[in-house]
Amino acid sequence: MKRFRFDRKTHLLAGAVALAAVVGGPPAKAADEVTHDRLLNADKETGNWLLHHKNFSAHRFSGLKDINRDTVKNLKVAWTMHLGGVEGGGIWTHGGLEGTPIVENGFMYVTDGWGSVYKIDTHGGRGVLMWKMDPKTDHDWAGAVACCGVDNRGVALWGNLVISHTLDGRLIATNKENGQVAWQRKVADPDKGEVVTGAPLVVKNMAITGVAGAEYGIRGWIAATDLSTQKEVWRTHTIPAKGEPGHETWKDDKNAAAAGGGSTWVTGSYDPATNTIIWGVGNPGPDWDNEYRPGDNLYTDSSLALDADTGKIKWHYQHTPNDPYDYDSVAENVLVDVPGPNGPLKLALEADRNGFAYAIDRTTGKFIWGLPFVKKVTWTKGLDAESGKPVEYDPNKQVQRYNAAVTPHRENKVADICPGNMGGKNWPPTAYNPELKLWYIPVIESCNRITVEESKQDKLKAREFWTGGGPSQPFRITGSVAAVDVTTGKLAGKMETPFPMLGGMLATPDLVFTGQPSGQVMALDAKTLEKRWEFNTGGGVSAPPISFAVDGKQYIAILVGLGGAWDKWFIDATPELKNIQPGSMLYVFAL
Amino acid sequence: MNFFSRSFRTGTFVMNLVAVSLVTSGVAQGQSAATPDPTDPGKAVFKRANCMGCHKWHGNGGGGYGGDALSLRKTELAREQIVETVGCGRPATGMPFFLRGAYDPVKCYDMLRQDVANNIPPEGATFLRQNDIEAVADYVLAHIKGKGEPTYDDCISFFSADSRVCSIYKAEPTASPDGAGKGQ
Repeated sequence: MKRFRFDRKTHLLAGAVALAAVVGGPPAKAADEVTHDRLLNADKETGNWLLHHKNFSAHRFSGLKDINRDTVKNLKVAWTMHLGGVEGGGIWTHGGLEGTPIVENGFMYVTDGWGSVYKIDTHGGRGVLMWKMDPKTDHDWAGAVACCGVDNRGVALWGNLVISHTLDGRLIATNKENGQVAWQRKVADPDKGEVVTGAPLVVKNMAITGVAGAEYGIRGWIAATDLSTQKEVWRTHTIPAKGEPGHETWKDDKNAAAAGGGSTWVTGSYDPATNTIIWGVGNPGPDWDNEYRPGDNLYTDSSLALDADTGKIKWHYQHTPNDPYDYDSVAENVLVDVPGPNGPLKLALEADRNGFAYAIDRTTGKFIWGLPFVKKVTWTKGLDAESGKPVEYDPNKQVQRYNAAVTPHRENKVADICPGNMGGKNWPPTAYNPELKLWYIPVIESCNRITVEESKQDKLKAREFWTGGGPSQPFRITGSVAAVDVTTGKLAGKMETPFPMLGGMLATPDLVFTGQPSGQVMALDAKTLEKRWEFNTGGGVSAPPISFAVDGKQYIAILVGLGGAWDKWFIDATPELKNIQPGSMLYVFAL
Repeated sequence: MNFFSRSFRTGTFVMNLVAVSLVTSGVAQGQSAATPDPTDPGKAVFKRANCMGCHKWHGNGGGGYGGDALSLRKTELAREQIVETVGCGRPATGMPFFLRGAYDPVKCYDMLRQDVANNIPPEGATFLRQNDIEAVADYVLAHIKGKGEPTYDDCISFFSADSRVCSIYKAEPTASPDGAGKGQ
């Protein structure tokens, strides 16, 4: 942990700091403590960005509108800040940035890939680093079992604490004022192949943690830690144990469920009306050899609804039973209410790796509508209108083949699938405009080639890949932004991009912001998706933008620094991106 | 550019951990310095060139997201073939070339850049000199090729006695082959 102080000898700077202290207002006091009530009403604090997904419904919608369709052409860099965490570790040559900044009353909290937390004072039209908390993440230990890059997607706020995760499995509470670690607790175990990349979700007095590691034979879970007592409140495994409902969907004789995957590495959402946490569950393991794990493999590739106080599963909806493609459902669920034939429909929206966007009734878990949001889907002919299951799905079959001609399996070891295994949409978050009722999806338009390798029990080893094959990239991959009208469940627009969308979305009343891994940050018209503004950051954008206000002025902020797995595993599909260098930088824009 | 002066605050848990690890790793280094291994320079190359990024520290490689990196423990390549593979990479696979000038102007597998065309392997993240390449080959021959499954001793000789990477190899008997002990 480092705390930076100003060198008094630097007179000019010291003067500027003194001025900033006046302009910036008083230091945080009790009124700045983050409570459950404030988080419930996060949207009312228009200038702040208090929750990972902006509100509990995961809308990522900022009501700020000084930067709008007419003014956005004047948007310019206000200030930047170089961050750290670029170094490699384990199997990775560098860390990257995938985080969502959190902003409270002009103070911003961001993380780098190795989990260092930075507090930045944004008052006065520039950024000043207040402190950096370096958790000294074990690079070798964690980096060797991080399937998909050295990443950390940000912090949460609770009381006077900043709550964060580390790749090596810790939940850390840092004093907001001085950057000192108040306490930390081990929640995940890299010895089992478990790492943590997601931002915590704070609900009431609990921090909810998800885990990654389905490529390393973990049995996934979602865990709640009481932030007052630092004790675990509940831990719900995403693969049911023997005797629990759902265990019968693992029909093998090899105890595949014990290493069945079901990661939970994207921050979920929360519905206070029913006290329900809705969280996405990842792929089964081994990823591509579904014959190893006959049965539907619950609750992999599902959206799960949990009682917030107990972690008890209320309902589930599975998208790709017995998945042979690595089409996980780890994505965030976006909670929206729309008019229905018999009163308002309470929906949970999820844009799945399998290329379909789903609306589920979030009170019952029943399918409402689904649509493909990618240009090309080959693995299924479509979704059943009633159940939402792929039309080829046969509940009486233990091993699903879907469109058998293109599905990789032991007798068809090399197969080309669309979407590719990175999915139609990966972790980068969607955004929802509640005024236009449009939902914006950052899309990867892709196919890739899967080569299946038959999994054998003796290959299952702690901290070793457990994938049953692997992908290669013979096809060019591009991207798009898709807008879905959630009142109809129909595609309302699409804007093609030269590269896949690896960063995520921000919605404002009449704009949508996003970025490309080739460096561009852009603003699109919220209705037409026409590009209204663009700036080339010169680095790989793999994080979502946010908007905040300080001193009465609106800003757009985004972390820029080649994160994730693309440059290691998928770069052949986008050869131009080989030129993008690792980096670690915060960009802040203003009019 | 001394805008900041750093002050380290009270001894938190994190600081204590760091202190402990500094002490123990110092001991480990002291021990290994007492019995120098002639292939240590090759081990350093193995780390610097990120061989472990695909083949892992133990050389077993294995499947995974990036496809199969071949097992160096099971390799049948002789020293000069390992030297050639590191220098020239493997055409049409993900194994990069690490020799400056490979395929241009130095012929690899009797091919220049125009001959290997689209099958040219990726360029390594760092170029290695010929003696570095020979050193890493000697390291592979001495510590990896022909060895069975990685052991705790292998692990601590690669990392250090206090590395948490190695803790799972200590508990070898509990890693039952049916995987029942995993992830519970």
